[in-house]
Parts: sequence; structure tokens; C-alpha cells
Amino acid sequence: MKSPFRPDEVPDASLLDDHRSLIRSLERRGLIRGGLSLGALVMLTGCDVKRPESVESALLAISRLNDSVQALLFDPNKLAPTYPASMILRPPKFNAYYDVMDVKPVNGATWRLGLSGLVADKRPWTLQDLQALPQISIVIKHICVEGWSYIGGWTGTPLRTFLERVGADLRAKYVAFKTADDYPSSIDMASALHPQTLLATKYGGETLADPFGYPVRLRMATKLGYKNPKWITAIEVTNSYPGGYWESRGFPWFAGI
Amino acid sequence: MHWVNAIVMLIMITSGWGIYDDDVIIRGFHFSQFWRLGDWAAWSLNWHFAGMWFLTINGLIYLIYGFVSGRLREKLLPIRPAEVVQTVVDTLHFKIAHEDITVYNAVQKLLYIVVIFAGVAQVVTGLAIWKPIQFSGLVSLLGGFQTARVLHFAGMAVIVGFLIVHVALALLVPKTLWAMVAGGPCLKPRGRAEGNPAT
Amino acid sequence: MVRRNMSGVRSMRMRSICGALVIVASAAHAQSTTPGGMPPPPGMSLAESAAMRFPQPVRVGDLPGRDVLRPVESQDVLGHVRQLVRDSKGQIMVVIDFGGFFGFGSRPIAVPVDAMVLVGQDMEVVAFTPEQLRRFPTFSPSGTTPIADDAIIKVGLAKPSH
Repeated sequence: MKSPFRPDEVPDASLLDDHRSLIRSLERRGLIRGGLSLGALVMLTGCDVKRPESVESALLAISRLNDSVQALLFDPNKLAPTYPASMILRPPKFNAYYDVMDVKPVNGATWRLGLSGLVADKRPWTLQDLQALPQISIVIKHICVEGWSYIGGWTGTPLRTFLERVGADLRAKYVAFKTADDYPSSIDMASALHPQTLLATKYGGETLADPFGYPVRLRMATKLGYKNPKWITAIEVTNSYPGGYWESRGFPWFAGI
Repeated sequence: MHWVNAIVMLIMITSGWGIYDDDVIIRGFHFSQFWRLGDWAAWSLNWHFAGMWFLTINGLIYLIYGFVSGRLREKLLPIRPAEVVQTVVDTLHFKIAHEDITVYNAVQKLLYIVVIFAGVAQVVTGLAIWKPIQFSGLVSLLGGFQTARVLHFAGMAVIVGFLIVHVALALLVPKTLWAMVAGGPCLKPRGRAEGNPAT
Repeated sequence: MVRRNMSGVRSMRMRSICGALVIVASAAHAQSTTPGGMPPPPGMSLAESAAMRFPQPVRVGDLPGRDVLRPVESQDVLGHVRQLVRDSKGQIMVVIDFGGFFGFGSRPIAVPVDAMVLVGQDMEVVAFTPEQLRRFPTFSPSGTTPIADDAIIKVGLAKPSH
């Protein structure tokens, strides 16, 4: 269903023909998942097709180098500053790669959290199962890559507790997430095990509202906002690089703060 | 080295403007696409995080060499307030002829010291906003994350202000341009310029 | 972190520096399926369009003082929230100190809350352009009742605009 808020101008599909070879090379570099499609076209109109690939590759290579530097700088024992509950912004700031009217609410009763990869017990979880795990609350600063920040309060079970409960291989490199809004995301295991990394089900003491990721979202204190997926539907523990929505569009992957 | 620095500074400034536009600090003020490096935020960030390595490495080499060789001390100190006032008056009267370009007048010394400090401040505030949790102590010292952003922007404004003055004066005294390319006249060991200034 | 103006690849200007680097200034392009803070489609009532924005509860007393922004990248400040009132029909209106320069020369106007959205710590007017707002009559309190600070009202959301 076309959103009534969608602007009338959409990209001309004949652009796909002009840039077929570039699309193929971008696919080979793994920058676009999925084949020749309007999805690829949307990203393509975002790319400057005349920018030399060598410049882009060089910048991305340095970005990957920076990821390694960030991993070295990451102190798994360092806690992010916390704040008094009175400073929690209610409601929090909404952001996504689309505006709020395109949010697709999830039915909490029929929702299941799927598991895959290096996990011993792959049985799906219900929301009640998740809420029965030990819960902690944190009041921390959310920082967006755009530059804005706000103080928010989340309650949930530490991701570490959950991973231990399902017998995940904690020596694996990556924890990857799938979501109800087609926003794949992944993080390094060290950040996943950080004490302030939660599978959050509440904000400000109340159940997460639909626009903010109901029934469960990832909440980390040590990474930028875009690394915290909402409306999680599946978790995978893996050693192959899973990437993510914004990473496919040029953003850094580690994104640690 | 001067030109590496110039290009890298331009990269940092224009990619920084692209990042700034993603959430403007001064509401109502943004940089139009023409002035930004990077089609959109992701690429502005990539340019910025690439340029930062060249800036800091180049800057460190410059500062270490400058301190160790005594060059910075000779060229930039001392600065007497009376000299600064006199130089400003001269400049406003367009008495900007620069017989010996290896000797900096008082205003030049002041501006170069300011821009060096501003550059260092940019690296410090930049580190704070890049890793506000890992460097949370530094962020607190600077007055918080949003304050560190403002300081980073202010440092940029100081550097851009310097650049405008610097480029304008270099164009007005063209023999300085050749010196910036070729390194200037040879100095005798004690720092006394005896070679002929480039014409 | 998204761009508005979905359009085809336009002509660009290229400059070469040192022969190796290429700086390209290209036209703005879209990454988002819907940009932030779009106005309601023509024909839709304010109430309907607000309802599509997942209105969230907010404490009335938290709103005065907040910046009211224009939903564009430059985030122009249109004014500040002064107070919230109900008009004679019971509709919730946001009284904004509109216009002026750093607080001087502003005048209060009343904007229906359904024409506005919450964007984090700020608000935006999405249903009226600044030009339209300039033609709003100056707010007069007669016929309106202030809403208590601790009252909770629902206001729609929008993602940041840029």
C-alpha cells in the first residue's frame, strides 16, 4: 500500500539499464544484497555513479581499519555514565530509515524470537519467556550518528544472560539481528557481552511503545543509535560477517562510542 | 608538508560541514551541497575519518620537528603586544610588504600560534565526540557531549577564519606563495637569514 | 541521516585536486522511503494525519519552552512553546511565541496540536508552512482554558528532517 505521505517523484526505472555494470560491481563488493531491483535503484540514486570506485574503495578500506582501531579502544569493563531517572525523555526521539507512519506494529502475542547459528538451544522464545529472565534497568545517553543525543531509560535482560541461557558460543565473532522492519544489524561479541547491553522490553518503566521497537529492541550504551535494532525477530551467532542496513550504504560497522 | 596539511585541512573542514548538516548545531544555519565533501552523511563521515589520520600524523611530525629543532620557538616567540598593535595598524594602511619572509611579524606569530592551538583543540574535541563513552572523562572535562560538539564547531570557525586571512595575505604578497612551495630561503644555522629572499 | 528529493542522477561538477582526489558536488538524493515531517496529504484532516503518526503520551508541563522547528535540514526555529490550551470546542491548541528575533518581536499564535509533532526534545509544525503561520491571528485567551501541567496529552511523532 502506497503511503499517502510518499512524495510523488520516484526514480525513473530506466536508470537501472544505464548503470547495470555499476550495480553488478557493487553487488560483487557485497554492498547491495539482492539483485537488480528497485531497492538497488534507490540506493543507486543515492550513489554518485561517476565517483571513481578507487576513491570509494580507499575510504571504505580506511573505515574498516578504523573498525579495528575502535575494537582495540573498546574497554569491555568500562561502563557508560548513567543518569537520574528524572532526566529520561518521555517520549523518546523516534528515528528510522522511514518516517513514523510506516512503522509496522508487531503482535506481541504471536511474536517469536528465532535463533540460529552457533547456538545450542534454537527453540524460539515468546515474549513471556523473555520477560521471565532477570531484568535490569539503565538510564543512559543515546547518541545518534547524526549528532543529537537524549537521555533514555530502558529495562530488559542483559544480552549476555540471554546468550548464556541459549548456549551460544561466546567465542564467536558476531551477533546478528533480524527485525520486522527489514533492518538487519550486527555487532561484535565483545559489545554484545558488555554489562549495559540489553534486550530491552520497556522504556521509562513502561512497555516499549510500537514506534520504539515493541516487543523487544537492542539497547547498548557503547554504540551509536543505528546499531540498536528495533522490533527484533531473530538473533544469530556467527563467525561470518553479517553486515547491516546502514553498513551496506557506507556507514561504519563498529560504530562504537 | 605545507600542502599536504592544506589539502587535509580542507578535506576535514568540508567533510565536517557535511557531517554538521546531519544535525545542525546552529538552528537555521546549514551548508549547501556545494560546500560539502561527501554526497551525504555516510561519505562525509568516511572522508572525515580518513583525513583525521593524515591530519594528526602530519601535524605531529610538524610539531615534534618544530619543538625539537627549535624552529617553532625561533619563529613564533616572543610576541610583544605593542608589536601586535603596530602590525595591525600597518596592515590596515596596506604596509604589508614583507622584505624578509622568513621572519614573521607579530600578528603572523599570533595567528600561527592560534591556528596550531585550534588544530590541537580540534583533535581533542574530535576524539571526545568520536568516542564519548570510551573517553567519557575527557567529555566531562569539556562540559558534556553537546558542548564538545559546539567546541569542535567553534574550533573549525577559528581555523576557517585563519584560512581566509592567511590566503588573502599570501595572495597580496605573492612572493610568499613560492616560499610555501619551495620551502623558503635557506637559513644559516643560527636562524639568521642571509640568503636572498625569493623574488 | 537521510536525504530528501528523490530524483534521477543530475549533472555534476567535478574538480581535480592534486590529480588524485576528486571532490564531487552532486545533487541531493534520497535514502529514505518517506522523508521526515511531511505535511498531511491533501484532503486528509489534521486529526487523521496526526493519528497516523503513532501519537504518544506527553506531559503538558514538559512542553513550554521547547523549540518549534521547521521540518527542514536547517532546522529553522519558528518559535517556542508558550503553553497548551483547549479552545471553545475542546480542541487542544499549542500557543507558540512565533517569529521575532531571539525572543524580541514575537507574537503568540495558537496552532492545533494535530498540526504538530514531537521530535525528541523539540516540536515541529508539519501541517502549515511558515508563510501560512505568519497569517495566523494573534492568540487571544478568551474562550480558551489552559491545560494543567500534569495532564497527559497525545502528540504525533516524526523522524528528524534533513
